[in-house]
Amino acid sequence: MTLFLQTVLNGLVLGGIYSLAAVGFSLVFGVLGIVNLTHGIFVVAGAYGALLFFGQIGIDPLVAIIPIGLVLFAVGYVYQRTIIQWAVSRASLVASLVVTFGVAMMARNGLQLVFGPDVHTITPAYSFMSLTLGPLRMDVVRLVALGASLVLLVVLALVLARTHFGRAIRATAQQPLAAELSGLNVRNLHGLTFGLGAAMAGASGAIIGIVQPFTAASEVAWTLNAFIVVVLGGIGSPAGALVGGLLLGMINAFTAQYIGPSLTQAAMFLVLVLMLLVRPSGLLGNAFGESR
Amino acid sequence: MRRRTFLQGTTAAMIVGAVPKLAFGQDNTITFGGSVPMTGAAAETGQNVLQGYQCAVNFINEEMGGVEIGGQNYQLALNLFDDASDPARATTLIQRQVDEGINFFLGSFGSNIVLPTCAITEAAGRIMVQAGGGSDLIFTQGRKRVFGIFPRASRQFVSSVNMFTGLDPVVKTVSIIYTNDAFSKFQAEGARANLEEAGIEVLDYIGLPAEVSDVSNVLTSVRENTPDVLVCTTHDQTSILIARQMVSSDTNVPMLYQTLGPQTSAFRDALGNYANGIVTQAYWSERAPFSGDYFGSAADFAEYFRANFDRELTYHMASGAVCIVAYIEAARRAGSLDVDAVRDALSAIDFECFYGHVRFTEDGDGDASLLGPLLIQRQEGEMEVIAPLDGASAEPIYPAPTWEERA
Repeated sequence: MTLFLQTVLNGLVLGGIYSLAAVGFSLVFGVLGIVNLTHGIFVVAGAYGALLFFGQIGIDPLVAIIPIGLVLFAVGYVYQRTIIQWAVSRASLVASLVVTFGVAMMARNGLQLVFGPDVHTITPAYSFMSLTLGPLRMDVVRLVALGASLVLLVVLALVLARTHFGRAIRATAQQPLAAELSGLNVRNLHGLTFGLGAAMAGASGAIIGIVQPFTAASEVAWTLNAFIVVVLGGIGSPAGALVGGLLLGMINAFTAQYIGPSLTQAAMFLVLVLMLLVRPSGLLGNAFGESR
Repeated sequence: MRRRTFLQGTTAAMIVGAVPKLAFGQDNTITFGGSVPMTGAAAETGQNVLQGYQCAVNFINEEMGGVEIGGQNYQLALNLFDDASDPARATTLIQRQVDEGINFFLGSFGSNIVLPTCAITEAAGRIMVQAGGGSDLIFTQGRKRVFGIFPRASRQFVSSVNMFTGLDPVVKTVSIIYTNDAFSKFQAEGARANLEEAGIEVLDYIGLPAEVSDVSNVLTSVRENTPDVLVCTTHDQTSILIARQMVSSDTNVPMLYQTLGPQTSAFRDALGNYANGIVTQAYWSERAPFSGDYFGSAADFAEYFRANFDRELTYHMASGAVCIVAYIEAARRAGSLDVDAVRDALSAIDFECFYGHVRFTEDGDGDASLLGPLLIQRQEGEMEVIAPLDGASAEPIYPAPTWEERA
């Protein structure tokens, strides 16, 4: 029983990180319809940003989330309003797939040029602490990461549900033409949504940087994870990302514990294929799909 | 007339382009081809190996004034490209260089890259000397022109088991975590066979995928069984992840032994004082008592490297450099740059240099009795050789202090 509970705990903590890392991808996919293959770059850029803040100025990565989020918000906004918008307006949404793939490749090599090929880690004071709850054991850094992930997901959910900005994003996602006729600047909102997605990805990167080692090449895995989370949980909402992330974490933990760690990725992709066959819109469906 | 001149010129240019470049020995320059992971997942160690190659070329060209083979003096040159840690890209690069007429290849880093690329060079009748692939598959498929500085993976654990049996208290149980790839899996299989042969019980034998983001569940199993030694045949990034999660989840074992990772500065930076007590392998130490014609002693190599390169010195640099030294020594002995003559000379080579005593087995991998790993333990921040006893610079610390005591 202890082993089962420990596995559940491990899965929840891992899932929380997956959720946060995927929510920006989910939002951009849901609102703009773009499969953003640059997503992992924003995650890794967040981790490198946290490394710089921590290494150069001594700012804790959890505090550094704010400036990192702001910077990546700006980067994401400009990136969408220029490169992606040009590609989409001159060709089609499919063009964005190729463009984001190309930008991701260039950015990955750019990051490697700046930060070098070496593996990096961020080590704040609580990195090596652990908590014991009866027979269960968990490292503090992962619990902190889970807590920060949940807080950020709730904040994003509140922003989308309760603010004018959030309502505008939802309106744009549901009926772009109607939103435009109502006086909303849809192009600008697309840029802002993309910026928000990049900011969330950067925030998750800052948290991931304290949990595990990373290099520029890690971005591929985080884009892939985000894609799986969105397929599992559903498109466009923090709740979908949370459900998908937690499910992915559980699949990972239970496969590792009871079948074999070497089969975790096989299990993840098996569930991905099954989900695409059985419920392609994910467990919670497309948050904006019904109105389209 | 003009048209005829144009056609003649074009035809001549096409013929020149179609003839393979005589890269080896052309203009008194010996060119080594190959690819190295300068970017991508294996870039950290790939850069180390690359600087090893560059170090040997610089030394031989600048300090020795080149090398004399068959009465003629040659300079060395490298024709290495970034394979981005991608086997598919590496095979394309190697095939192109084979087509261009390169005869002598240096290896990439990682068995997953060396394996397909050495298959290309072997099929083309070219030679590869490499210090980046230890998988048994490289050496057990009948290749005659592929040489590895390291012993094959399954033979890399003999000295480790010897150390385990000599420790006090004696090691009775071991758990093994390995990455499910062409190198780590063979190394783990070799470790398990050697351990069981020595009467040491293997409690857990756990495979990990190449990309791992969490090992909490694996460590839960380790805590349930608590082996005397936890052996990890994993690569750098996974080793860091395992060690960090062991500390943060307070998973203590008397000895943590990771074959790859603890050698790097990234590992030291990530673990700080917790890196003390962790055991690893190294195939070369600057404190080793070896010397020879190139560079002089091991300490001389270290001094030359530090004076000319900026990366922190690890054994990968020495392993890379000795690939070129072995090539040159073989060509000198053959007195020729003929591919077959150099291959035969490499096959028979048996000499001492700054790296150690270099000799290959019939299958082309490094002779395990001469080129097997040293065991290193970080003690008070210094990498100390703890086995074999002949070259040991310190006694092993075993059982290691708990993580809490190392803080």
